Amino acid sequence: MLVIENLSKVYPGGVQALRDISLTVKDGEFVVVIGLSGSGKSTLLRCINRLVEPTSGKVVWDGRDVTAASAEELRAIRRQIGMVFQQFNLVKRVSVLTNVMAGRLGYVSPWASLLNQFPKAERERAMRCLERVGIADKAHVRADQLSGGQQQRVGIARALMQEPRLVLADEPVASLDPATSHSVLKYLEELNRQEGITVLCSLHFLSLARRYGTRIVALKAGELVFDGLPAEIDEQRFKEIYGEDAVQVEVA
Amino acid sequence: MGMHAARTTGGSGKTTGRGERSAPRPLPAFLRTFLTFLALALVLGYGWKVTQINVHDLVVNVPRIRPLVRDLLSPDVLERKTEAQTVRAPIYLPCTTEQPQATAAAPGQAYLIVEKPCVGPGESVRVEGFNFRPSTAGFIRWIPANGAPHTLDRIRTDSTGHFVITITAPDVDPATDPHHIEAEVQWGVGLPYPSEALVITVQRMVETVFLALMATFFATIVAIPLSFLAARNVMPRNPVGTFIYYVMRTLFNGLRSIEPLILAIVFAVWVGIGPFAGVLALAVHSIAAVGKLYSEAIEDIDPGPIEAITATGANPLQVIVYGMIPQVIPPFISFTIYRWDMNVRSSTIIGMVGGGGIGFILTQWINLFRYRQAGTAVWAIAIVVAIMDYVSAKVRERVL
Repeated sequence: MLVIENLSKVYPGGVQALRDISLTVKDGEFVVVIGLSGSGKSTLLRCINRLVEPTSGKVVWDGRDVTAASAEELRAIRRQIGMVFQQFNLVKRVSVLTNVMAGRLGYVSPWASLLNQFPKAERERAMRCLERVGIADKAHVRADQLSGGQQQRVGIARALMQEPRLVLADEPVASLDPATSHSVLKYLEELNRQEGITVLCSLHFLSLARRYGTRIVALKAGELVFDGLPAEIDEQRFKEIYGEDAVQVEVA
Repeated sequence: MGMHAARTTGGSGKTTGRGERSAPRPLPAFLRTFLTFLALALVLGYGWKVTQINVHDLVVNVPRIRPLVRDLLSPDVLERKTEAQTVRAPIYLPCTTEQPQATAAAPGQAYLIVEKPCVGPGESVRVEGFNFRPSTAGFIRWIPANGAPHTLDRIRTDSTGHFVITITAPDVDPATDPHHIEAEVQWGVGLPYPSEALVITVQRMVETVFLALMATFFATIVAIPLSFLAARNVMPRNPVGTFIYYVMRTLFNGLRSIEPLILAIVFAVWVGIGPFAGVLALAVHSIAAVGKLYSEAIEDIDPGPIEAITATGANPLQVIVYGMIPQVIPPFISFTIYRWDMNVRSSTIIGMVGGGGIGFILTQWINLFRYRQAGTAVWAIAIVVAIMDYVSAKVRERVL
């Protein structure tokens, strides 16, 4: 279970990205975070694994206080939390397999890993993760040779290597075309349904959010303005979240 | 809307400057143009004078460089063993006691027939040679009764081994003993082999390439750690980090602005003339040059992968090894090879001030007026630089 209590973030420039957010995510949920660009979605996700240090408030994952964790404890927490990014964030010049193995760095012996030595079992695990997302044949290709959709599947495989109990997905399909978006989100949905991995995913399109989310939370200027079921977002709620001028766009 | 407003304000600001405020009226456009051109003409005219530009000499003295260019274009690369055939005939200068002497020649042997037994100073005389090696080139010389020989002209025998030439007695001391006219033809025998100049050039060229390599190597191992200290995204944004960052940047910029030529002079005094001085000079300059490039490559790193690897629970060292290093290795290799290429070029100049390598020997040959040997060195430099250029471009293409 993930518990967020009164979380706020003020960036050094004075921008208030998050304002007193409280949210509880139960195990096995697929929570979609929606909101305009700059509404604080990325900051919220990054505060959960402290890629961004919250200014105040508390994040508790599985009974452990993330915000108070030491560097050592934080790494132990982070390895249970997979993360998928809008720009995929693969190391472009190295192979797909090495990128996937990087997901295991929190588990393996640090010294052996510095020399790029992974146990055979870990290599096999990486291959299974790639098979899972249907690109095992690309294992030895350089990451930047892949299409966007394939790169994002490598990103998911890297997160899978962590054997995560929670996956944070920050706009995972914002750089992809609609058809590819669905295929990527289906993998996340599959992990959620089959393995019970909790997913917290930010999305731009409400249509995608409705299709994949079991629950939707909306942010507006750093504040939580909606928390409920997909079906509860009617025209009025929509305008509250996205502004009066917004028009709904369907993604095929 | 905001853009539009800003522009309008800017425009009206100018108008106010001209009219409403009593600012000095700008000069009319034609006068401004005229004054600009006048100033330009004055500057260029002064430059023309201080740099002693002299178009007349440039055109008229073209013949002066002809032998130099000819020698540079026919470098001393291969040589063959030569054999020579030399025949002398006596001649008196001045004509005091006339003593005609017939040159007795054995049948089949080469001999000279001189038109007159004696000549006065500055007089001409016809010399004819017989039975020399056919179709062979050589020289005709005047060997004074006392003093050094004068080479008068080139000769070339025809297919029967005969030549005719009219020579003029050189300005030599008159003597009672006979002077001599000497005809010599030379020809190569056996296979050509590398000339001494070529052997020296190759040795020095190898020295130069390794000089550049060692300089680049030392520069790289010093510059890599320093470049991280000069990268804004690596140094923490606290006073200490910022201070180190600026110190390193200043160090790189300062060192880079010192010409390797000057460094070479300093090191030649320090460790003596030779390639080691050149290695040090190029290394110091290169530390700054590659250090700056490396630090810029580090600053260009995509932060995404670093964030992603941090998020997996990796420790900071693993983040550097997996997130940072793969991104900087290709530019580092590229800059290093480029620097090596540049250092080969620089080391030819460095050699001229005592830094060893090909430049050193090139300078010596130039100073001794041995332009054909200098030509060998110049060609070697051109070839090696072109090859390095090509190879480094290919390698850099592959890494990036």
